[in-house]
Formats: sequence, structure tokens, C-alpha cells
Amino acid sequence: MSALLEVRDLEKSFGDARVLTGLDFAVASGEIYGLLGSNGAGKTTCINIICGLVTADGGAVRLDGRTLASRAPSTIGVVPQEISLYRHLTCVENLLFFASVYCVAKDGRRERAARCLEAVGLEDRADDLVATLSGGMHRRLNVAVGLVHEPLLLILDEPTVGLDVEARHQLWELIQSLRRAGTTVLLTTHYLEEAEALCARIGIMAGGQIAAEGSMTQLRALIPAAELAIVHADDPGAVKERADTLGFEHRSVGDAVTVWLPERESLERVANDFADLAVRSLSVRPVGLEQIYREVTRSAGASVGGQSETRPIAL
Amino acid sequence: MVAVARRILTELWHTRRSLVFWVLFPTLMLLLFGLIYADGQGTSRSFDYTAPGILIGAALFFSCLSGPITVLVGERERQTLKRILLSPLSPAAYFLGIVVAFLVIAAGQTAIVYGIAYAFGGRFHGSLFLGVLILLLSVTAYVGVGFYFGARFAKSTEEVNGPVAAIGVPLLVLGGTFFPPDMLPSYLFAATQLNPVFHMNEALKAVSATGAGWSSVTDHLGFLVVFALVGIVVGTRSYRRMLDRQSGS
Repeated sequence: MSALLEVRDLEKSFGDARVLTGLDFAVASGEIYGLLGSNGAGKTTCINIICGLVTADGGAVRLDGRTLASRAPSTIGVVPQEISLYRHLTCVENLLFFASVYCVAKDGRRERAARCLEAVGLEDRADDLVATLSGGMHRRLNVAVGLVHEPLLLILDEPTVGLDVEARHQLWELIQSLRRAGTTVLLTTHYLEEAEALCARIGIMAGGQIAAEGSMTQLRALIPAAELAIVHADDPGAVKERADTLGFEHRSVGDAVTVWLPERESLERVANDFADLAVRSLSVRPVGLEQIYREVTRSAGASVGGQSETRPIAL
Repeated sequence: MVAVARRILTELWHTRRSLVFWVLFPTLMLLLFGLIYADGQGTSRSFDYTAPGILIGAALFFSCLSGPITVLVGERERQTLKRILLSPLSPAAYFLGIVVAFLVIAAGQTAIVYGIAYAFGGRFHGSLFLGVLILLLSVTAYVGVGFYFGARFAKSTEEVNGPVAAIGVPLLVLGGTFFPPDMLPSYLFAATQLNPVFHMNEALKAVSATGAGWSSVTDHLGFLVVFALVGIVVGTRSYRRMLDRQSGS
């Protein structure tokens, strides 16, 4: 698939703070690409540059082969993190207003609004005031407004923040259905399981650039472990010593020690290895995005701390 | 432009509370001042003079000055500004959309104020075209000032009333809304020559109550044209600056 969005060597500083230091990624047409990073990693700055709200100091952004200056404003749809709707208009009135300001032809607006409401499952609430909708419905309508002008690229900025589990899963289904309909999505999120569930490829930002990028399978390959054993013990130090003795890599947070198991091992065998260490709980799980994210941001942070240049992990 | 106007009017229609007060306040003020100035000699003459002043000072002032401030603050609070910022809608089209919305509201308020005045014997004596022109310039000037305050100073709904009360109400008092400006001390009368409300009031009173023609209100119209143009420029620029701040945040 060809790249719809190309971000090349993007640089941006605010005063002395270098926010983007050569950001490089591409989003293929029809894919959901997840952009992850801690607060201050530069995700919002990147989105603002793509939208044309902020000017980059260097680098280039091309959308469908066009530069930012030459693209039509309506080629991008943005769903901000905040609910940005008119509470005292109905759902359909919100959509009609934004269709109008985004220059959708007058005779097609109603049909377009109806299609968007159907896409987000709000067709029964078309004539209800936004103020009367639930939090989950607000989020879905927020997405619908971003879609009403049928943009080439839809940017979803933390779309499920503050939602309960059920509403979050409903929105995930909606985003999946958009992908099936051919919409290209750039998604930023703090919820790693969300990125894991939705995105074909994920870029992890650190130090103002992409520190690692790829599909989940490719990202898993960054951690030389077949599985992870999570060990909670009264004496985490003893667990780490045992892991060292066994030749296993390990990381710890609080009293939990994550041991990297180079091969798939049964829970029973792992339990035996740590049996004499007053273990409170032990579980074995596959390598997930959380572990990968921690590892990538940790090594990028170490590089920055050590004054060496952060390099994307090659895949 | 039309979309912005329609959106503002639809929102107002759905909430209705602001509309009720924008009707109730000038209605009560008109009745009070019309009856006070009647002084036992019939109401037709007092309502002739009170209607234009109340329309400018009590009706349009609160709808067309504080209304745009509320609209802008609302856009900021509801985070809808970012979506508008990303759209092809220009600041000038957005400003004109607000002007159109408040012109519609002003037309409604005018009908109500003059309807009540008519019931008490008051009449519009002058050129209808001239009256409409004065109202058009007055609404544009008010919206321009409202835009400026909304974009520059009012950051939240709670802050809307501050600039309106602190700056607007003295302008109303000095502008001859509630009593004739010739009651002012000479230094205040000289100062109020720079007050747009004074020129709105004087022009509309002259045309509406006395049937004065173009030549009698040329100076007031000139001031209002300049003030309305300055309002458009300053208001649009303040809005553009607000968008720049928003996009940088």
C-alpha cells in the first residue's frame, strides 16, 4: 500500500526546548497507525504541524503526495481529545454546521450527516440535543463530526480518554469499522491495549523522534524473551538475584519483578525456580506492548541521559 | 457566514433563556421610562423619544455587545474553536456570520420595542431606510467591540459580565440612553462626543422621534461608519490573534 501521510525529518523547537528532533514516519492508505509516547514526547506538536496549526522548523509533511501548503483544508479530519461539540444543538445540527464550514456541497449535507450518524450508531438520537447524550455518545459524535467532510486522513487524539470499559470497546468497534470502510487513521493514545487492539503499526516516540516502529509482531522482536514471568515477592532483591543466577534478564517496578524467559516455559517450572523465595504471586504472560513501550522509552531515555543520540530501533 | 449565523440562532432558539431576557429587559425599561417621562400629558410623545434610546441602550447593547462575547467564550470553553480553526472558514466570514445573527436578533428586538411604543401612541416619524442604516451600523459597531472584548479579555463565562458592566454601562449613561445628554456637565458632554452610544442614540432619536433627514444626522452617521469599520478591523484582528494563541497551545 502507498503512503498517504509522510512525515520526514520533522524538527520543532519552542525556545530552548527541542520537541521534535527528526521525526520520521509514514501512514499507509487505509491503515490505522498508532503514535505512542509519554506526555511531552511531541505527539501533539506533531499533530498540530500535520494539521497546519504549527509551522515546523525543518522537515516535510506530505499528504497524498501534496505539501501542507498545497493541500485542501478539508483533507484532514481531526477528533480532538476534548469533546468539541455545540451542546445546545442537536446531533444532526452539529454535523450540518461542520459540513457547511468544511464546504460540503449543500445538497449532500443531510445525506452525509445521516451516514455519519449511522456510522457511529447515533441515528436514533439525530434530533436530540447534545447536552442530553451520555459520555460515550459524546465521544462517538465527536468522531462523526471529524468524518462529516470525508477526509482522506482522520486524526484521533486520545479518543477514548475518560470512557468506561464498555463505551471504550464500542468506540474501538467504530474505529475498526472505519478502517474496514477504507479510512486512514492516525491515532494517539495513552492506552497501550488500545493501540495493540486497533493499530496495524505503532510508532513509539521518545526524545522527539520515533524510537521504535512496526507491527506488534515486529515490536515483540525487540525484546529477546518468549514470555514474561511476573513475580511478586516479599524480597524482590532475592528474586532479581535468582534471575541473575539463572541467566535471565529482569526489570522491577515496586515489589514486582518481571523476568524475561528466553523460551516458553510452563508455569510449574518457573514456580519451581523461585519456590523458596516467599513468592506471593506468580504469573506468566506473553510479551505485550506495555513491556515493549517501557523498554523502548527506557533505552531512549538512557541514551538522552548519556548525551548520546537517540536512534530508531531498526526492524 | 450563513452557517455561523444559523448556528448561533439555532442555539439561542434551543436554549431560549437569553432570548427571553433580551426581550424582557428592554420591554420593562421602555414601559418604565415611557411612563415616567409621560408626566401626565399622554404617552405618545414620551414613547416617541424613549423607544429609540431603549432600543439602542437596553436592547441592542445587551444582545449585540454581550452576545458576541458569550459566543466567543463559548467556542473556547466547548473547544469548538479548534475545529473552526482547522476549517476553511476565514475570520472575516466568522465575524460577518456573528453580525448577521445579531442583526436578526436586533430586527426582532426592534419590532418588539416599536410594537410596544406603538401601543402607547409612539411612532417612527422619519425615513425607514435611514433608521435601518443607523441600526445596521450600531449592531456592527457593538459586535466589533464585543468581538474585541471576547477575544482579548473574557476567558470564561464568568468573565463575560465584567467588561460589559465596567465599560459598557458608563457608555450607556453618558450616551443619553436614560436621560437627555444635555443634562450632562459640559466636560462630560464634550467627552461623550467620542462615545459611539451617544451617536447611535442621537441619530436614531433624531430620525425616529423628530423625522430628521440625512443632513441632520450626517455627523453621527460619519462617526458610526468609522467606528463600525474600526470595530470590524479590531474585532477580526483580535479574533485572529486568539486563533493564533489557540493553535500554539
